[in-house]
Amino acid sequence: MFFYYMDLGWRSIKKTPYLSLLMVLAISIGIGITITTFNVYQQMNTNPAGERSTQLFAVQLMSQGKDTWPDINAQITYQDAMNLRQSTIPTRQIAMYKTGAAVQTGDANFQPMLENIRATDSDFFDLFSVPFIYGAPWDKSIDVDAAYQVVIDADLNQRLFKGENSVGRELYLNQMPYQVVGVIADWHQSPKYYDLNNGPFSDPESIYVPLSLAPIEEFESWGNNQSWNTENIRNYQEGLHSETHWLQYWVELESEQQVQDYQAWLQAYVKQQQGLGRFERDDARGEVSDVQAWLDFNKVVPEDNKILVGLSVLFLVVCLVNMLGLLLAKFLKRAPEVGVRRAIGASRLQIFAQYMIEVAMIGAAGGVFGLLWAWMALSLLTSRFKLGEALTQLDLSMWIFAPMIAIVSTLLAGMYPAWRICRTQPSIYLKSQ
Amino acid sequence: MMLHVKPILSSLMRNKTGPLLLLVQIMLSVAIVANASFIIIERLSLMQRDSGVEETQVFTFNLYAFDTDTDIDLDKQRQRDLAAIRRLPEVIDASTINMSPLGGGGSSSTFTVGESQETSQYAPEAPIFYSDEHLVNTLGVKLIEGRNFYADEVITSGGEAPTLVLVTQVFAQKTWGDESPLGQIIYMGEWGDYPVKVIGVIETLQGAWVDREMNDNSLIFNVPMNGAFHKYVVRSDLDNIASLKEIIPALLHQDEPNRVIKGFKTIAEYRQSAYRAHELMATVLGMMVILLLLITSLGLAGLVMFNVGRRTKQIGTRRALGATKGDIVRFFLVENYIICIIGGSLGAILALQLGEQLMQLYSLPILAPIYPLLTFLGLIVLTTIAVIVPAQKAAMISPATATRSV
Repeated sequence: MFFYYMDLGWRSIKKTPYLSLLMVLAISIGIGITITTFNVYQQMNTNPAGERSTQLFAVQLMSQGKDTWPDINAQITYQDAMNLRQSTIPTRQIAMYKTGAAVQTGDANFQPMLENIRATDSDFFDLFSVPFIYGAPWDKSIDVDAAYQVVIDADLNQRLFKGENSVGRELYLNQMPYQVVGVIADWHQSPKYYDLNNGPFSDPESIYVPLSLAPIEEFESWGNNQSWNTENIRNYQEGLHSETHWLQYWVELESEQQVQDYQAWLQAYVKQQQGLGRFERDDARGEVSDVQAWLDFNKVVPEDNKILVGLSVLFLVVCLVNMLGLLLAKFLKRAPEVGVRRAIGASRLQIFAQYMIEVAMIGAAGGVFGLLWAWMALSLLTSRFKLGEALTQLDLSMWIFAPMIAIVSTLLAGMYPAWRICRTQPSIYLKSQ
Repeated sequence: MMLHVKPILSSLMRNKTGPLLLLVQIMLSVAIVANASFIIIERLSLMQRDSGVEETQVFTFNLYAFDTDTDIDLDKQRQRDLAAIRRLPEVIDASTINMSPLGGGGSSSTFTVGESQETSQYAPEAPIFYSDEHLVNTLGVKLIEGRNFYADEVITSGGEAPTLVLVTQVFAQKTWGDESPLGQIIYMGEWGDYPVKVIGVIETLQGAWVDREMNDNSLIFNVPMNGAFHKYVVRSDLDNIASLKEIIPALLHQDEPNRVIKGFKTIAEYRQSAYRAHELMATVLGMMVILLLLITSLGLAGLVMFNVGRRTKQIGTRRALGATKGDIVRFFLVENYIICIIGGSLGAILALQLGEQLMQLYSLPILAPIYPLLTFLGLIVLTTIAVIVPAQKAAMISPATATRSV
């Protein structure tokens, strides 16, 4: 019966080709626009930390002085970072910031490259579950007693050492020799939630160095430096002791109890610092946010995207109403035919089913074309606006999602015309034949 | 002229669902199109703002000196570099700069102004450029009052506080109102700390952040930045920029090889990236508006065409009873206008409501009522076209064929 109805549906569609085309066009454009905006939104709205999301917490401190801005800073000062390390509550904790240096190898002909570097602690790799190809992080003792060791990523390993196991080999950062202790796999978090300073979809650094080298090598911060104090910072060491915010701080807390303990510890820390004359504001406090809360706090999904998704859903509604009007007109014209079918024994349900199948066929075609439009629109946006593939790749789920909303929404819209037509009184139409 | 609204209304009322659907469609279309075009116009006007810079002629690039030899005098090095670049025949002028206008990242600060400690107050936050006497000419900004720095006024020993500043007209207006800014003092920090004297006024110069209101308040100080990481700015004719990207690194490497030189980018290119999000928004919304209008008018035309088919007998009968072709066309048009006016008015109300919601939820300005009104008028024109074509066809129905089967 299903295939018979499909055949009937196809005949009916062919009978009014322009009208059918118009319906498919309307529904497919509606689906196409919705899928396009929703795809970009979804890509921005992913939480790459996965199941670790609720165990990793960004730490913020309201350390500004009086008469400053009322927002809690996304980053903390170097002195606070050193003090927070004293807490024994977190399972793991790290401080870090983005910097950079000229990279050279022992080969004199090698053209120096400027690379982004992350200065951090050895727990960075375990905390953010970074996979290693060769070697391992530097030893924890190096976080206190600095040593010239680095972890590099697979791509840089390819460029410097042709992808070989480079553990134990040497590279030069700003002409200082460093020993490679580990090579990590391609690890690209999108959004780059652990440091959102240079944009949530920026590339990861290719080199990781111990943060303990910062005071020695005086690595400049290549991220954001926010200062509320009018102190005059003349050199790097004064920067370390200043009130400038430039480090990110993350802790791993595995249980609710641990979270509460750590929050209490932070409050005690703020009190203690107030005793030393810092943290002057009445709302001085420490805050922890898990990854999702952190992404929300940093407004990773731009408002524009939310507006676009909202408007495109309204757009889809217009397309559906449009299709509904056309369907109604079309079905009602067929009332005489239905009258005859009813008279020779077709039940209302059968008529209803037959027309719903026709509607579903239009919906399915709309879904397929909608995907095509979305794919075209996304490719167009990628090439025109250099959005980066991460954002504009058509998500796999959309291949199922698009036809599904197309069919479901057209079925919902088609229900009314199909219901109207199945209630046709045969007698009226038989009389006028 | 008789519009015969009453019979049309009663025919609409007898078959409510179809017209009702059309009404809903028009209502939603007006709401969407009004808000979308409002956002588009807003973004386009943001993108039109002048940076003050000769954007296509000016480019910046970065240098990173990584030589650990601490004897190298970076200030002297910079002066030698810039002199060498300026000697190139293709180069109009060159200078050092701490951030690229429209570049997205850089320095900004607030300052204290006032006659005395008691009357002191904050000047508005401003993007700050650190450079020398060549910057004005290199960027191509217009000095409209006062003068530029003299070469011997530029502090090149590094790390020292500036003494002189060029301010933008906007900053001067916001800070001193109608008073002349020349000779005024701004303090870096508290009142009395590090006084800096205003010696010139620039017409327009934007800082690095296109989305921040303070971007027009730029200041230029007489202290070039000092450090391993450096940015130079060069102005030349558009045709020479590509070749200069090759010539300049070679030239500077002759002097000192231990540095990475990269990141050549014109201010025009920075503009493109800076406004990319706005352009994207305007493009997607523009696409939406066009497609929506297309679908609505095609749908309407399809519906009318269909109704013409259904009403063949009715039309033929009316023609036979003496209705002119114009009467038939008018019938469809009036029917359309009734739906349009009701749907459009409801749509305008919905548009304003939607605008209100968007303003509350997001940082959008409130929708100006002119937008729903214009959309409404546009829709009247568009639907007239969509209706008139099939209606003309209907008017061609000959009374004879139409009534034959009766």
